[in-house]
Amino acid sequence: MAFLHSHATSFGYKQVPEEQKSKLVGNVFSSVASSYDLMNDLMSVGLHRLWKDRLISKLNPFPGMKHLDVAGGTGDVAFRVLERINSVSHRAMQGTLPYTEEDTQIYVCDINPNMLNVGKKRASERGYKEDNFLSWIQGDAEALSFEDGSMDGYTIAFGIRNVTHIEKALSEAYRVLKRGGRFLCLELSHVDVPLFKEIYDVYSFSVIPAMGELVAGDRQSYQYLVESVRRFPNQEKFAQMIQEAGFARVEYENLVGGVVAIHSGLKL
Amino acid sequence: MMRRTATLLLRQNGSGVGGDIPQALADVLVCPLSKKPLRYCEASGSLISDAVGVSFPIVDGIPCLVPKDGKLMDQDQKESEDCTRILPTTNEK
Repeated sequence: MAFLHSHATSFGYKQVPEEQKSKLVGNVFSSVASSYDLMNDLMSVGLHRLWKDRLISKLNPFPGMKHLDVAGGTGDVAFRVLERINSVSHRAMQGTLPYTEEDTQIYVCDINPNMLNVGKKRASERGYKEDNFLSWIQGDAEALSFEDGSMDGYTIAFGIRNVTHIEKALSEAYRVLKRGGRFLCLELSHVDVPLFKEIYDVYSFSVIPAMGELVAGDRQSYQYLVESVRRFPNQEKFAQMIQEAGFARVEYENLVGGVVAIHSGLKL
Repeated sequence: MMRRTATLLLRQNGSGVGGDIPQALADVLVCPLSKKPLRYCEASGSLISDAVGVSFPIVDGIPCLVPKDGKLMDQDQKESEDCTRILPTTNEK
């Protein structure tokens, strides 16, 4: 009976029943987890690092904050937030700060345990003591396991396009943020710049899946990646969705002509 | 008055020992389905949501709070004495 009433959603260019999407996405990321970082560097020619730096500077982390990074299993964003807070703290030693560094908590939530394990391992390699400042939770962006109004900040980097119901993820983000809390999303977006768009398409559809094959031994996952980017709402549409979730002062910044965009909003 | 997960989990001897939930998690974690507080079951090392009668496992120190991975508990499990209910402290919200 469910078949008659099921809704289809997009998985790259394939239409799949909703229940299947998260399972298929899960498989993609179990497959990609181990070569994730390397592929990110190759595909973006190292630029993803700068994009994440930009995301963090827009976030403006402060010591004592409670921050939630969703779909960030391998820890890229979480480590940056922590490092930024540490540097702010050291500068503030000269002055006075209302919060102490000790209260800082970064929560990393990911639907995929493999990604989280990679993140945990990297954390210990960087010398972060277990459970100090960083917490790792397996969870669903559409149904977060965090209390209402518990977070000062929420980030999702290159994760929201993999969510089955984007609106749910956005309303959950709104729910867990405190009043005054900031929402930030870094995601691959739409390029409209003439000529550059054509070059980008060729790069996406020809080069990336081939790279995936060569480096990660997985053409299909990267084919999915490229297709999922095209199916994701464009900058304006996504900004509208963020507003509909209740956020105020919604804006976006295009990087590299729209290859990526950082959307932000405030919970008033 | 709403009980927070932290009040249900707070132990006098601190956290992080033998499968305990670190304070940082106890402070903010709730059931992903009901958004109500969770209870830690020592016997199974899992997080219980009494509101919906579901238990969530903790694997390699990582709480698995994906809704579809929760296990529905039958009546026997819900009333089991093996899951020690940890008493709330005075810091109730």
